[in-house]
Amino acid sequence: MLTTQKTTNQWVNEFKDLIRGASGGFLFGIPLLYTMEVWWIGSYATMPRLLLAMLITFTIVFMLNRTAGFRTADNIHPMDAAMESIEAIAIGTICAAVSLILIREITLETPISEALGKLVYESVPFTVGVALANQFLGHQGQETESSDRPQKSSSQSKSQKQKSSQSTIHATLADIGGTLLGALIIAFNIAPTDEVPMLVSAIQDLWLLALLVASLVVSYAIVFVAGFTNQQKRLQQDGIFQRPSSETLMSYLVSLAAAFVMLVFFDKVQWNDPWQIWLSHCIVLGFPATIGGAAGRLAI
Amino acid sequence: MTNIVENNDQNPQFSSRTTAEWVTFGIASVIVGAIASLVIYNWLTEQHQPPEISVRRTDAIREKDGSFYIPFEVVNTGGETAESVQVVAELKKNGTVEESGDLQVDFLAEGETEKGAFVFTQNPRQGELTLRIGSYKTP
Repeated sequence: MLTTQKTTNQWVNEFKDLIRGASGGFLFGIPLLYTMEVWWIGSYATMPRLLLAMLITFTIVFMLNRTAGFRTADNIHPMDAAMESIEAIAIGTICAAVSLILIREITLETPISEALGKLVYESVPFTVGVALANQFLGHQGQETESSDRPQKSSSQSKSQKQKSSQSTIHATLADIGGTLLGALIIAFNIAPTDEVPMLVSAIQDLWLLALLVASLVVSYAIVFVAGFTNQQKRLQQDGIFQRPSSETLMSYLVSLAAAFVMLVFFDKVQWNDPWQIWLSHCIVLGFPATIGGAAGRLAI
Repeated sequence: MTNIVENNDQNPQFSSRTTAEWVTFGIASVIVGAIASLVIYNWLTEQHQPPEISVRRTDAIREKDGSFYIPFEVVNTGGETAESVQVVAELKKNGTVEESGDLQVDFLAEGETEKGAFVFTQNPRQGELTLRIGSYKTP
């Protein structure tokens, strides 16, 4: 009985580790995902350069993993760090691939060499993000993890503070404020750039819907699955939207509104534009805004 | 799978991995290996030839509100990527150029196809229409 539970635990923990890595990847990778110059490098990079890029990424991530990493150990054996680096590259590559497909930069018509180039270059920031996952928002540490391997979490102290019980309205306002702040930090850099209208013209119909769903899934994963520092606190939060699903939905709407304000601020949408233009611009900029918003809620 | 904690920070040990972690590592290795081998495969089969770009008309010419839409596609059948590919269209009547248009394609990778259209005000059927590639640069 005990063994079965331990086995289940082990898979749950592994799943959480992977989701935490992917969340870190999205937080770090999104700004470069919305940078056309990175797609272009991918379009013309030669194969030896791609191999070199992969090797350099491995080296950087290996060095990061000696001290950080997306798993829970602090000081680890070089062999562990090397294996974790391979896993980080794989997670980063999957996240980058999904994102590139979502924003229609890799389609069925893309030649394989170009798709590889885009994938390898875009996977670099995602991979670094995976390796930095624990440093971004801290990890909860041992209290929720069964320790199958040695783990020493340095960031526990963060989760202890701020346990004051807030009134419902205050908690809700804090949620909205955190979401707005995070959305601003990530999406403000992207809002004035030409990538937004470029992507709007490339992402059509059902793909917009897919981007919307992806925004919700990534936001949910960052806040409620990844096990960053404040996750327990989030589940105890007593705002109006206390259920994880409704909080995710509400914060998505807040992020969309933030994206809209930024687009108006930078004159990317005009009042006489048709509503379809507004909607597609908001959803495209809403993806980075939601990811920032999720991080923002964890940070408050 | 018992704890082997108590190794102090000075001397980290290779930790025993759980089954779940081994499975993850296995899948991760396959993914990274697949990407690396695809890159190497492409490298080996790469044709080290300059770009060869051709342009051709695709669909029939459409007329709408006095404008004539001429759909075309450009293909790079060569070995390398071309940048800033200039597509030029000219409509000649009785030997003189009556109308011309040009369009620039940012990047055209090996085997890539891009589509576009020229819009003329005169009927291309009543003259001699030529589509050609004007120029490109290597990235």
